[in-house]
Amino acid sequence: MTRDLEPAVRDAWHVLCRSADLAPGAATRLRLLSRDVEVARNAAGTVSARLLDGEAVATREAYGHVFACLGTPAAPLFDIAEFAEDDRRLATCGAVRVRASGLRLVENFLDMAHFPFVHTDLLGVEERPEVPRYDIEIRRDVDEVWATNCRFWQPRAAASSAEGQMSEYLYRVAGPFAVMLYKTCPADPSRFDVIGLLIRPAEPDLSYAYAFVLVLDEASSETAIVHFQQTIFLQDRIVLENQRPRLLPLAPNAETPTRADMSSVAYRRWLKEKGVRYGTVEGLAGHGEAEGVP
Amino acid sequence: MSLVLHDWELSADAYRARLALGMLDLPYTKVPVDVVPGRETDTPAFRALSPTGAMPVLVEGDLVLSEIGAILIHLAERHDPAGTWLPREPARRARCLDRLLFALGSLRACDAARDAALFETPSRIADPLAEARAALRVLESLLARRALAGEAFLAGEEPTIADLAAFPAAALAVDWGEDLALLPKTRLWTRRVRALPGFTTMPGVPEFL
Repeated sequence: MTRDLEPAVRDAWHVLCRSADLAPGAATRLRLLSRDVEVARNAAGTVSARLLDGEAVATREAYGHVFACLGTPAAPLFDIAEFAEDDRRLATCGAVRVRASGLRLVENFLDMAHFPFVHTDLLGVEERPEVPRYDIEIRRDVDEVWATNCRFWQPRAAASSAEGQMSEYLYRVAGPFAVMLYKTCPADPSRFDVIGLLIRPAEPDLSYAYAFVLVLDEASSETAIVHFQQTIFLQDRIVLENQRPRLLPLAPNAETPTRADMSSVAYRRWLKEKGVRYGTVEGLAGHGEAEGVP
Repeated sequence: MSLVLHDWELSADAYRARLALGMLDLPYTKVPVDVVPGRETDTPAFRALSPTGAMPVLVEGDLVLSEIGAILIHLAERHDPAGTWLPREPARRARCLDRLLFALGSLRACDAARDAALFETPSRIADPLAEARAALRVLESLLARRALAGEAFLAGEEPTIADLAAFPAAALAVDWGEDLALLPKTRLWTRRVRALPGFTTMPGVPEFL
């Protein structure tokens, strides 16, 4: 039964697991949006999923992951055009469990101001904390939030970095629980590396984060690339687990943004416009299982 | 003889080895192992190095060690001429080994609690959270007794490999939701360990504990 879920969440695509974690003939149970979902791959390699109480749900396999939609898909799975470029390497980082709303994870991913303090000497240095002004827009044609013209000084921007660089960033929120960034590639400054964070919201305040990296990097081993992303994400995880409330408040006066938080302000406004309630403070009454709200 | 560590950034045991290598100021080469999500520790190639799949693995010439206790003892015996990290005097040595085995025994429940919180790794321990909290209380009590004796570290006045073995269990507790607020001696001791020359941090170790 998914009737109680708002369409903006019910009819969106959400990651279920990595493709590699589902061998032919295998089936596994996962939690998605407070429902138990069984996902299986048949001997021919085709993936299917159903709610444990019976109904089949739509699935797609792409970008090294399996996606599901619990309602009627409002749109095709978001396109990541760089997957068509065959000189790129994909590294999938697996699932990390986080006791926080998935919306908090997206918002943290969009934030540059924490780089010098949480990812010290990797994505930022404490001497250069300034977030230069960037542009933010809600692209109505594709229903996505974009932050463009972002710049940040990074001593070690990627696994392949030999030295610091002024990284250029574009952020793209492709779904309530799916976010990507495009960032200057250390190996080829004319192109962008793609880093994605796909979130499986298990409960309003419990998430599984699936990070992937689609890079131009012939030198680093896949394991080194994965370890770099895992290091970054584990640094974020401490902060995420200690944010209160665990759910994201959408009321404009609930938390005080600064200019560097323009992307967060736009993301929250977009969520509110779409009627997203799952994982928000405002949705608490509707879903009941969350805890940790003061 | 060059040292090679088959390593995973996020492993508490690998961190124990990196701490010892750092404190002893030993250069070494890291070989990253894809534990999560790749399960490389289950592959025949890795099992040839580490029969049980335990990691990290330390390789020094012909010597291949895959038990973290053996790695710490070996590094101290082979590379610490002053003999402070594993004392040679029998009583002090015995006390150091006593605390080392505690750190790699009961206190290991903290690693299980952390692995469950991060990756839902199954554990042989029935209730990792309860056992981890109980073991941290034992650590607190051990440190309190040392403090009454005027000693700053787990096995005496000087830090030993017992401290390095115990540190990740306590310092990474925030990863599984334990903030050490009620363990003041443990918090003070983690600050002492952090202040030692050659200390290295890892993701999950809070900047301010």
